[in-house]
Amino acid sequence: MQLVADLVERCQHRLVRYLLYLTGRRDYAEDLAQETWIRVLQRGSQYNGRQRFDPWLFAVARNLAIDYLRKKRKAVQTASLPDDHDEILLVSSSGPSPFEAAARSEDAMRLAGQLQILSPLYREALLLRFQEELSLAEIAQVLGAPVTTVTSRIYRGLAALRSAFEEGGDSPGV
Amino acid sequence: MILLECDKTFRELIDRSFVEDVSEGERQVMHDHLRGCDGCQRYLELTARTIRGLREFSFPSDADSTAQVSEMLADHAGTMREHDRAIQHLQFKTWAAFAVALSMSFAGSALVYQLTKRLAVPMHFDTAQVQAGVLIFWLLPSFCSALCVLAAPRENRGIA
Repeated sequence: MQLVADLVERCQHRLVRYLLYLTGRRDYAEDLAQETWIRVLQRGSQYNGRQRFDPWLFAVARNLAIDYLRKKRKAVQTASLPDDHDEILLVSSSGPSPFEAAARSEDAMRLAGQLQILSPLYREALLLRFQEELSLAEIAQVLGAPVTTVTSRIYRGLAALRSAFEEGGDSPGV
Repeated sequence: MILLECDKTFRELIDRSFVEDVSEGERQVMHDHLRGCDGCQRYLELTARTIRGLREFSFPSDADSTAQVSEMLADHAGTMREHDRAIQHLQFKTWAAFAVALSMSFAGSALVYQLTKRLAVPMHFDTAQVQAGVLIFWLLPSFCSALCVLAAPRENRGIA
């Protein structure tokens, strides 16, 4: 139990942040984070101790988030659901997006708008790579996709975000 | 647009240098090219700026949330331990009930066999017929009944 408590201490913040990016809502993210830790407690034996814990934790959280959002959508009986799990992930909040709320610079604020409209697949890959600093192999583990797919998503996502600065036509703030 | 004018290969190399590992040779080629290409230089700056921007999102850490989760997990771990103990206890009771039922099945069969053997003499049944009768009409049904103890759903196992 002490081990799990240490892991919570170390990973809770990142877990909530990741779930917030996936769901777009703080209340969802915190509920799901609790669910994730319960799942970790129940199925900790499935974790392969030779690999890093974080990607496994994110993968558990991601699966729960997909199920959770799917149920939420069914509950409100909105549009028919796509078969592809990844398409479920959507930032859907009436207030400021989690990206706008978390932007700490002018550039980040500009990216926040682009992230909001970016495909969830690209957004997730980008954030796992550059926010969570996961390796490509670890991201592939989280997403359950091949590394080539992950790199392709990152490059396409980068291209889409770069346009936020290209279109502005301003000088790079380097 | 200036960014589209240069060789696509160099743009891909620039992207790769941010996302994957590139060899020292490739890095050198990229730097040599960048010295003479304003378009790729600009591309590199925009990519770096984009990635830096992505790293400039930050959420305030919520210590209460961490404490709440730790507390909730401690409670949940306690519940799980109790549940595990209850399951173990139930399993023990189930196997004990099965053992008793099985013993009764064999002991009862032996008793019935002895009794039937005595009764069968005036009726001119031979031993094989008595054995078959006890097997079919007593031992097998009672053995199946004992097995039912194991097969019954957990909540219905109130025998033991």
